[in-house]
Amino acid sequence: MTDRDSETPQWITDQLDDPANQNNPLLPALKYLLEQDKEHRARMDRMLRISDGYGNLVHNQSLSLSQRYDKQLRRLEKITRISDRYQQEMMELNQSLRQAALHDPLTGLPNRRMILERMKSELARQDRGCARFSLIMLDVDHFKHFNDTYGHETGDAVLSKLAEVMQHTVREYDLCARWGGEEFLILLPETDLKTAQTTAERLLQTLRTSTLDEVFRSPDQPHTKLTASLGVATYQPDETLDEAINRADSALLIAKQNGRNRVELNLEHEDHPAP
Amino acid sequence: MAGDSYPENSFEFFNDVIEWVSDFLDQLDKPLNLELKLIYMNTSSVKAMMDIFDLLEAAHLKGRAVSVNWYYDPRNERVIELAEEFKEDCTFSFMIIPDEK
Repeated sequence: MTDRDSETPQWITDQLDDPANQNNPLLPALKYLLEQDKEHRARMDRMLRISDGYGNLVHNQSLSLSQRYDKQLRRLEKITRISDRYQQEMMELNQSLRQAALHDPLTGLPNRRMILERMKSELARQDRGCARFSLIMLDVDHFKHFNDTYGHETGDAVLSKLAEVMQHTVREYDLCARWGGEEFLILLPETDLKTAQTTAERLLQTLRTSTLDEVFRSPDQPHTKLTASLGVATYQPDETLDEAINRADSALLIAKQNGRNRVELNLEHEDHPAP
Repeated sequence: MAGDSYPENSFEFFNDVIEWVSDFLDQLDKPLNLELKLIYMNTSSVKAMMDIFDLLEAAHLKGRAVSVNWYYDPRNERVIELAEEFKEDCTFSFMIIPDEK
């Protein structure tokens, strides 16, 4: 409402001010009514202004509330997104730590810790009546000679090559691990002594025929044959893991004593196979 | 601030930091430069960092001199993406710098 609306029209004021009308008996009544009307208009005006003001206030408030809500929502989404990324990174880090903790960095083979874990779960399977597992302990022949003659780097390359040959020779579900130094341990689940022997012989044969050409890159170095000695044992009921490993190890020792580059079996307890 | 952040009581922990930043901005008129070398953060730490950046943004809009230098290990480039996410809504100077040390 503008001020002009609340003004009295000119023609009325003109008539009221006209000297000719001054004696009209209705003049005081008209003036009174006009006064009343002005007051009413002013009051109405104020009421409308206040009411409009409140309306605007509420409108603005809800607008800013919804804006704030949207902002918080975006913020929350962003926090979640960032946090997810951090978690993803953490998970990948965990995986690489696990890989590092359970594998040998040189050969990439599982390490002692990992094969021990696997042997323990094989032991548990044994308790549930699964077939017995066998172990092959393998030691590179004259490894010290490799190292001393050609240096540690060549020695390391020989070990890596050996690891590669081993992994290609055993079955998918067998586990080759670097046991320590130039010693490797192979776990063959659900495998009897005879089958384990076949695997060990095959490994020996593969090693005999594999060349080390790629290890000795410089042509003036005399090529050296890579051979290994292997000891095989099959887990016997009621023995500990250590005992089984030691029996494979002592078979390996006998292979060394018998001239290396050969497979020996540990036949202890084998006369009385488990039912 | 540097390192990994996953405090057990991160709200209490960061409340002090946020209060400190807020007091600094309220009471002093010096420029504020935040040097960050953060690697891992848990969710509540992420939220706290955003609170701090919001404070800086508000101060920046009022004309205060604020800036952030976020250093990252060049071997871990994924930190860049994370820092970029934080930077997104900030209009003040927010540098993401490889830490060559």
